[in-house]
Parts: sequence; C-alpha cells; structure tokens
Amino acid sequence: MHAVEVNNLTKIYSGGMKSGRIAALKNFSLNVEEGKIFGLLGPNGAGKTTLIKILLGITSATHGDAKILGSDVSDYHIKKHVGYLPENHKFPSYLTGEQLLKFIADLSGYETGNINGRIDELLEMVAMFKWKKTKIKKYSKGMMQRIGLAQAMINDPDLIFLDEPTDGVDPIGRKEIRDILSHLKSKGKTIFVNSHLLSEVEVISDRVAILNKGELITEGTVDDLTSNRELYRISFEGDLPETILTGELAEYSLNRLEDKSYTLKVTNVNSLNDFIDRVRALHLNIHSIVPQKSSLEDMFISLIKESNGKNNK
Amino acid sequence: MKNTWLLTKITLQEAFARKNFIMFFAVSSFIILIIIAVFASTDLTNYTNISQMGGDQFDLRRKVAQFFRVLIIMPLFGGGLFLAIFSVSSFIPALLEKGNIDVFLSKPISRTQLLLGKYFGGILVVFLNVAYLVVAIWILTGVKFGAWEADFLLSAVSITFTFAVLYALIILIGVATQSSVLAMMLTYLIFFILSPLLLARDKWETLIKSDLVKSIADMLYYIIPKTSELGTITKDLALGNPVDSFQPVISSSLFLILTLWLGIFIFNKKDY
Repeated sequence: MHAVEVNNLTKIYSGGMKSGRIAALKNFSLNVEEGKIFGLLGPNGAGKTTLIKILLGITSATHGDAKILGSDVSDYHIKKHVGYLPENHKFPSYLTGEQLLKFIADLSGYETGNINGRIDELLEMVAMFKWKKTKIKKYSKGMMQRIGLAQAMINDPDLIFLDEPTDGVDPIGRKEIRDILSHLKSKGKTIFVNSHLLSEVEVISDRVAILNKGELITEGTVDDLTSNRELYRISFEGDLPETILTGELAEYSLNRLEDKSYTLKVTNVNSLNDFIDRVRALHLNIHSIVPQKSSLEDMFISLIKESNGKNNK
Repeated sequence: MKNTWLLTKITLQEAFARKNFIMFFAVSSFIILIIIAVFASTDLTNYTNISQMGGDQFDLRRKVAQFFRVLIIMPLFGGGLFLAIFSVSSFIPALLEKGNIDVFLSKPISRTQLLLGKYFGGILVVFLNVAYLVVAIWILTGVKFGAWEADFLLSAVSITFTFAVLYALIILIGVATQSSVLAMMLTYLIFFILSPLLLARDKWETLIKSDLVKSIADMLYYIIPKTSELGTITKDLALGNPVDSFQPVISSSLFLILTLWLGIFIFNKKDY
C-alpha cells in the first residue's frame, strides 16, 4: 500500500467572468511510498498546495482519484492518522500553546492515557516547552511554525503533510526541524513536504517530484534527479597525448580539468560506450568514469525553464 | 456528537475571548446590581401603593413583579439580541479564513459537525448570558414580591430561540459570502424592519393599490422568521399570560431548519 496514491487528478478553478477557468492540476498522477520523506517542489502557483488540499479533503478534485493510507480522500475518518501543517496557518489566538495541542488532539480523535505527557514531550521536541502557557497571539512567526509542527504530530500520525514547514524559521530552527523529520522517518512515518527551499528538500527527501503549472515534470530520488547523465568526469592512466585529443578523439567534447582529468559531454549512453571503445582501441587505459551531479536547484531551474519553453510554444 | 461538542466548547472559548460577551455579562451584572439596590432601598408598600389596582395583596405584588420583569425582558429581547448578532456575525467568516479553516478541515470531523459545533456554541453563549439575567431577575422579584411564576424562566428560552433562528441566517450568509457585515446587515434588516413591518401589513396594505405588492408582502410574511411575534410571546411569558398561538414558533423553526440545512449544504460543497 502506498501512503499517497493519486491517479489522473485534475483540478479546475472557476476564476469568474474575467479570469475564466484555471487548471491548477492537469491529469496528475503520483505515488508516495510509506515510511519515506517525499518532497514536492514547484514554483509559486504550480499546484502544490492544491494537491495537499485535495488529499486532505479541503478542496475537491474536478476529475481523478486520490487515496491516502489506502482510503479515498472523501472518507474523513482516515484523517485520524494524518497530521497537517498548513502554509500561513492561523490557530485560535486566544488559546495557549498547550491548550491548542490539547484541542487538536481531541479533534484528531487521539485517545491516550497521558495526553499531558504527550503534549510536554512534543513541546520539548519543538523547543516550545517554556512558552506552553503563553497565548498564541504573542508567538513570533518562528514560534508559530514550531507549534504548528507540534500540532501536526500530536495525534502520532502515520502520514504528515507539511506545507513550507521552515517558513520564517531561523537556520538553527531549520536544522532542528530537519532532525525532527529524520526522527519521524526513523519511526516509519511518511512525510510529504511542500517547500520552496530546494537545498532543504535535497537534504531530507528520499524522493522528489517537480510540479509546474499543474503538471508533473519529473519524479525520482534526489540522486537520480541530480545525476547528469550527459556529463561524465573521466581520468586516464597517464597523460592523454595532445595529438590524440586533436586527432582520433577530436569529435568528442572533452575538456581538460586542472587535475588532468577530463569532462566528457555526450548525447546518450551509447555515445559514451562509443567513446570507451574508441579509447580502448587506442590502447589507452581508463582509470575512472564518474557521472557528474548538478545541484537540485540547477536541475529545478533547468527543468522549469524547459517546461515553460514547451508550454509557450 | 463528541466532535460537535468539542467545537461547541471551542466556540464558547472564542466567545469569551472576544470582549463583547464579557461586556454583555458585565452589563447584565450591572442591571442586577441596580435592581438589588432599588429593591433594598424601598419598602414593599411603596409598590403596592403605586399600583392602586385593587384586588388582594398577592395579586398586586405579582403585578409589580411582572412589571419589573417586562421592564428587563423587553430591552433584553431588542438590545440583547442586537449585541448577540453583532458578536456572532464574525464567527463563520473567522472560521473560514485561509489558514484557519485548513486546520479544522484536515481533522477527522465532517463539515456538518464543524458547522453545527459553531452553531450550538453561539447559541450556548447567548443562552448562558440571557439565562444569567433572567434567572437573577426571577430570583430577585421572587424574593421581593413572593411571586415565583416559573413561566417567566421560559422567556430565556424564547429569546434564545429567536437568536437561534437569526443565527441560522447568519451562518448561511457567512458560509455563502464570508462577509460578517452582510450577515449582520441582513439579520438586522429582518429583525428590526421587515418582521415588524410585515406583522403590521394589514395597516399599511390599505394604502397600496398594487395586488402584486400585497402578494409579495404576504409571501414574505410566511417566509421570513416572525421575530416580532416571538417578541410578543416573550412578553406574554414575562407577564405570565398564556401564549395565544405557536404558529410563529413553528414557521420560524421551519426557517431555521431550512437556512441551517442550506448553510451546511453550501459548506459541504465549497473548496477552501
């Protein structure tokens, strides 16, 4: 069973007379494995929040199916096992942090003998214990995110949706949140993160999907996505003679690096194998061939540009 | 049921966090203190002399007690409901604010339970405030005049019921438009203008020649909640008079059920 299953999901918003109909999601399909951290990336307006809202029954899909933890999203009882930190959340400002967690635990149907112990444990975890008797209206943005994260975990959920969880949090706080997410993963929880902060998603996520204008551009592990299949770093035993570089291997795009290795740009894996055959035929020894990685940010920007280019044609 | 009660409780907390209901409570307490002061500083014979209505002593005492009760209840019906509508009109738009509604809808509760929780919470707040004043007046007039008609206590139910009818409309408008101002204005329009005007339509319809206008007025009379007649029922209960007709209660109940159902229906269909 997948924690999240989405099949051909389409969401069309009616924007009124002037704006017409806006497709927030277009035939979107996605599966999220249980026990993994899944990062959903995309520029503003890509449809990330719409997807989460459909999965939580806050918004309805125009077409398609969506399931969480094996149940259709229309079955609200399944949300007993789900936690959610919305973007720009507004909790009842007249409650204290402690009261909020108690209320959310009750609302989530969380039944345990020691709810106060659970509240204290979570407040300690998000470094908010000393503010537990303070009214939420007095909390800073960073504190709001921390208490928001605590409320998303209060019912010990199996699946947690986090929409921009580190928004407004300082670097130390971000590190602490990353550690909390890793801890939750180690307990077998599935975490679905929407974020603009690519570097963070790169660090914590097992799998990543990129969404643009309601369409899935790509999906895979961070390693898969950041491995650039067209660029390799090659080193040879000994120096490569200049005559070979400009002669037999002239048709290949080889660039010498400072450490005497080379980068090779090829169009596909067959081209790489052709190159290896050519080098071996010249009785040269290859020491290593390593695919080169780009950062998630480089890959993200390049894919979004490519996607926008296609859409504009 | 458990979820609805939880939301009712949180609505109570929200109401007390807003200063309006504390103010209402403070005003009620102030009125109670004034009455205590008036009763403590005057002799019972003063009231019986004022009445000069003949009959036995107990009957006179009862009438004076009723006079005080109506003196409190009728302004409570008008002014108290005015304040209550003002206070609760923002409940639904505040619930539906982005970032707030997401939290509630992501929990294992149905939208119907959520809206009913808000509805019952608002009613409970008003009932507690109204009951506080009504019971206090009943005890004070009872102690002072020895008149303990329990029917008077029903006026708290009658006022709360009138509020419940209007609050259902506030919920519907709040869900449909997310505007507290519009919800408040339409409710005041019905409570203070349309209902009294339609009740007295026999008097002004003679001035109008158009049958169409008369038909519309008649139709509106049966559709719109009969808050003016509910006021009359409240007054009868305060005076210890029998209630002539329960037709306003029945038709207003139908309005309540219909508007609340429509509000829930729209809420269940909306995207947030």
